[in-house]
Amino acid sequence: MRKYLHLAKVIAEEYFAYRLNFILWRVRMVLRLLTLYFLWETIFRGQGEIGNYNHTQVLTYVLLSSVLVATVISSRTIDAAGEISRGDLSNWLVRPLSYFKYYISKDCVDKLLNIGFAVVEIAMIVYFLKPAVFLQTNIQTIFLFLLAAFLATVLFFLLSFLISFIGFWSPEVWAPRFLLIACLEFLSGGLFPLDLLPKPVFEVLTLLPFNYLLYFPAKIYLGQLSAFESIKGMFIAAAWVFIFYRLFRAVWKKGLRAYSAEGR
Amino acid sequence: MILKYFPLWARRCRGLRIYWRVWRRTAALSFMSGLVSRFGACLLILGKLVRFGFFLVFLAVIGTKTKAIAGYNLSEMVFFFLTFNLVDVLSQFFFREAYRFRPKIISGGFDLTLTKPISPLFQSLLTGADILDLITLPPLILTIILVSGKFGVDFSHVFLYCLLVVNGLLIAASLHVLVLSLGVITTEIDHAMLIYRDIANMGRVPVDIYRQGLREVLTFILPVGIMMSFPAKAFLGVLSWQNTLYGLIFSVVLFYFCLRVWHWSLRKYSSASS
Repeated sequence: MRKYLHLAKVIAEEYFAYRLNFILWRVRMVLRLLTLYFLWETIFRGQGEIGNYNHTQVLTYVLLSSVLVATVISSRTIDAAGEISRGDLSNWLVRPLSYFKYYISKDCVDKLLNIGFAVVEIAMIVYFLKPAVFLQTNIQTIFLFLLAAFLATVLFFLLSFLISFIGFWSPEVWAPRFLLIACLEFLSGGLFPLDLLPKPVFEVLTLLPFNYLLYFPAKIYLGQLSAFESIKGMFIAAAWVFIFYRLFRAVWKKGLRAYSAEGR
Repeated sequence: MILKYFPLWARRCRGLRIYWRVWRRTAALSFMSGLVSRFGACLLILGKLVRFGFFLVFLAVIGTKTKAIAGYNLSEMVFFFLTFNLVDVLSQFFFREAYRFRPKIISGGFDLTLTKPISPLFQSLLTGADILDLITLPPLILTIILVSGKFGVDFSHVFLYCLLVVNGLLIAASLHVLVLSLGVITTEIDHAMLIYRDIANMGRVPVDIYRQGLREVLTFILPVGIMMSFPAKAFLGVLSWQNTLYGLIFSVVLFYFCLRVWHWSLRKYSSASS
């Protein structure tokens, strides 16, 4: 455990070594958030409700989903694809370290930094723009929200790693990830709440794992799901985590057999 | 024949011919390397189409659930989005090489660029035309023609639309030059490029929908409005001649300014790692 903590410390120092890089990365996050915020604010101008959402709820959804994007859908596992296809994985296989625990440490640092800065940035936006934001006070709902966000984080970690495993068989690792990112923005509810879609489309989307990444935790936070719906959703999300975990193990084993340390 | 009486022009024309030949050659090489992995190319095109389609769905959802947004109906919003895509795809097609600039800078490989008898800016910006963007252009233009038919065609508006799309491309070129200059000075380029893309993405919808203040910033300071919204507004006949003129002058001044910054940044180049 201590060696992974030390690794996490080194990774954090690495982030701050490239300060301009770091600042520009945060500027991007704020820009994205402001774009969505202003867009939705305009859409609601002179409009009472859209679907099941009033002005406050949709702005809360937008702000919350941007925090969730910064935590759930931000993972350094993207780097694994390059390491595998370049043959750099060999360095990790001979070290007395777990490759996955290394990435868990890396992701923990990334997410902690993201959460920390996202909270400060959102606090500044709330202070300066004074948007109507819904604050959830029910402890039980907050607990369920945190649990859903945790499951979403694990789910995305496994999904992202699975995409990186393509590097075992093909050097073409960017294209599949690009397709995943293009799909995720919409299917996870990052662009707008999914229940604004026509009901049959929405029902199909709830069968996919993607809506458990952003839409489901955000809906719990807004208190728009009953206790039964929340727990049912949590079980489905856990089932997806289990399925992806099994897939992850199987593909890793198969990948290692196919791995030829190409490029080394 | 006439050019022999104007030696300076003759030299410039010869120079342009050389650059045209270099561009064609590098574009052909870039197309070949872009198609090395057909599977990857197909996935990238599919990803672009998926992203495009999903944003159209988003506009449709918003358009059907609300009254007109900032005075624009659903068809007009779609037309703005298509125009944004046209400028964006064109700029990515021409300026893709800028996305590969960082490795050259951090490895010191830019030294080799500087020693070649071709403008380093031309090499860094224009020598990596992207075939995937070229493939998506014809269906995009066809869709624009189909959607624009709904608004009635006025040839002066079509002319202004084309002129302002080219103007948008000039602004995109200027901003890419600015990002490259930042890369030369600081070696930071990837996030700066992505910031440019994030800001440009604000033009997926007409800038008029943003609140006052931000709207002015997006039109008169960060030229997203001029790049993305002005062409569509001109086509719809809602762009004043003052704004048209402002947009055209702004892009020329910005381009000149960015070229100056580029030349200044070259003097600061420290040839790291070489």
